[in-house]
Amino acid sequence: MRLNDFQHARQEEFSAFARFEVAPFAADWDRDERIPDSVIEKLARSGYLGCVIPGEFGGPGWDLVTFGLLNEALGRFCPSLTDVLTVQTMVSAALLKWGSAEQKCTWLRPLAEGRITASFALTEPSAGSAIQSISANLASGSNGFVLNGTKKWISWAQFADVFLVFAKLGERSVACLVPRDSAGLSIEPIRNLMGFRAAGLAELHFENVGIPAANIVGKPGFAFSHVAQHGLHFARLSTACSALGLLRGCFEESASYAASRRIDGAAAGDLGMIRTLIARMGTDLSAAHALCHEACRSAEERLPQAIEAVLVAKYFASRAAVRAASDAVQIHGAAGCHGSAAVSRYYRDAKILEIIEGTTQVHEDILGRIFVDRAAACPRPTQPDADEHDRPTAGTRSASRLRDDRSLQPDGSAVSG
Amino acid sequence: MRVNDLDPSAEKQAIRHFILSSVALAQLDDDADLFEAGIVNSLFAVQLLTFVEKTFAIEVGMDDLDIDNFKSVNATAAFVQRRVGRAAA
Repeated sequence: MRLNDFQHARQEEFSAFARFEVAPFAADWDRDERIPDSVIEKLARSGYLGCVIPGEFGGPGWDLVTFGLLNEALGRFCPSLTDVLTVQTMVSAALLKWGSAEQKCTWLRPLAEGRITASFALTEPSAGSAIQSISANLASGSNGFVLNGTKKWISWAQFADVFLVFAKLGERSVACLVPRDSAGLSIEPIRNLMGFRAAGLAELHFENVGIPAANIVGKPGFAFSHVAQHGLHFARLSTACSALGLLRGCFEESASYAASRRIDGAAAGDLGMIRTLIARMGTDLSAAHALCHEACRSAEERLPQAIEAVLVAKYFASRAAVRAASDAVQIHGAAGCHGSAAVSRYYRDAKILEIIEGTTQVHEDILGRIFVDRAAACPRPTQPDADEHDRPTAGTRSASRLRDDRSLQPDGSAVSG
Repeated sequence: MRVNDLDPSAEKQAIRHFILSSVALAQLDDDADLFEAGIVNSLFAVQLLTFVEKTFAIEVGMDDLDIDNFKSVNATAAFVQRRVGRAAA
């Protein structure tokens, strides 16, 4: 991967930050289920919380390759901390793209400077990846709108100052900004998670919360298909690079352990079975690195294929992180099963990476459909059945599209997250 | 590809080509409603929007969020022409 001078300098800076400000404390944060305010303040002072926000709104406006390097560096030691950056970026990016001029002026500078943190409230107790099932309801009120409903598994919701909440306005999807101090909003922390224990997850209860019309983001009817999708695009990129960092952590811890651990007088790394596990890990690391960099680069260039590249990177890197974490514990043996071992935490955190921002299965469904549709659009000339005349025209839908009518709506359900 | 300087039919052709390279259709009527006919899903709608922004060097914002702007090849091309014309004015 070729980095420019700026990116290379930032990479060294992020690595030092992670090594000195994150690595020594990540186990404590995991045990305490909380990231200290002082750490969030350091992220803010370093410009990390608003790193993708452009200068006109007070951010450094870093490119997305640099954004990926930051996520990788933090994910190397603590994916919970990366998750804070993920949700801050999701809300910031959604506002940058679909926010009104007034919303940008009001919210982006505090977000960029890290004076406030944000959370992306999409999922509900009965609506995870299938966001069409969301039941949170926005209704017209005397001074704008009234919000009722419950959101669950919301990262950083225990501490965020503002929430981007997704709901239904009649049959249309809608997104709205809800400040933490809104009357009728109650926040219930979710404790004892398997992984991401320090990411401040919570359940949000909205009971007749007043929402001014000025807080609606985007236009009703486009919240799921455009506002949420835009945020999720950044979330998947962030999560993919965080998974890459965790994969690197598993590889480095395992290789180091295999080199130093003696078994019957020989290094563990001399055993073929250990070398096999580390070889798989190292190869996955190289592949994930290439995919994540390509995803960041194409997203930075705003190429139409970036959406697919980000999906592929998140899908591959999160699964590879789970495999690597499992093998890292295996290599460490009993020592890896103790809470004091970093790899035991990596093992718990890795599984979360495979679930958030669209599960592995959701990614398979979306990517499988993309690949099959593309093959149907560009049939190989050697295939006798793939004659142009056999392909449908606009009035005749292809078989693959007939399989899922719900996904065809403008505000459709083919959304991972 | 940058087609700002080309005639309107070039814009239409670029949009049509982009859609046909991704969906299983041999032909596409320029007036066919992409949503009504089930030609695009929400993910592709975002890809189309990204393509329009990148190819024609325009920024699609909140005020442009109208299904009528992207419902067909002709509608999308007309939207692009309006935006490019506005930028040039």
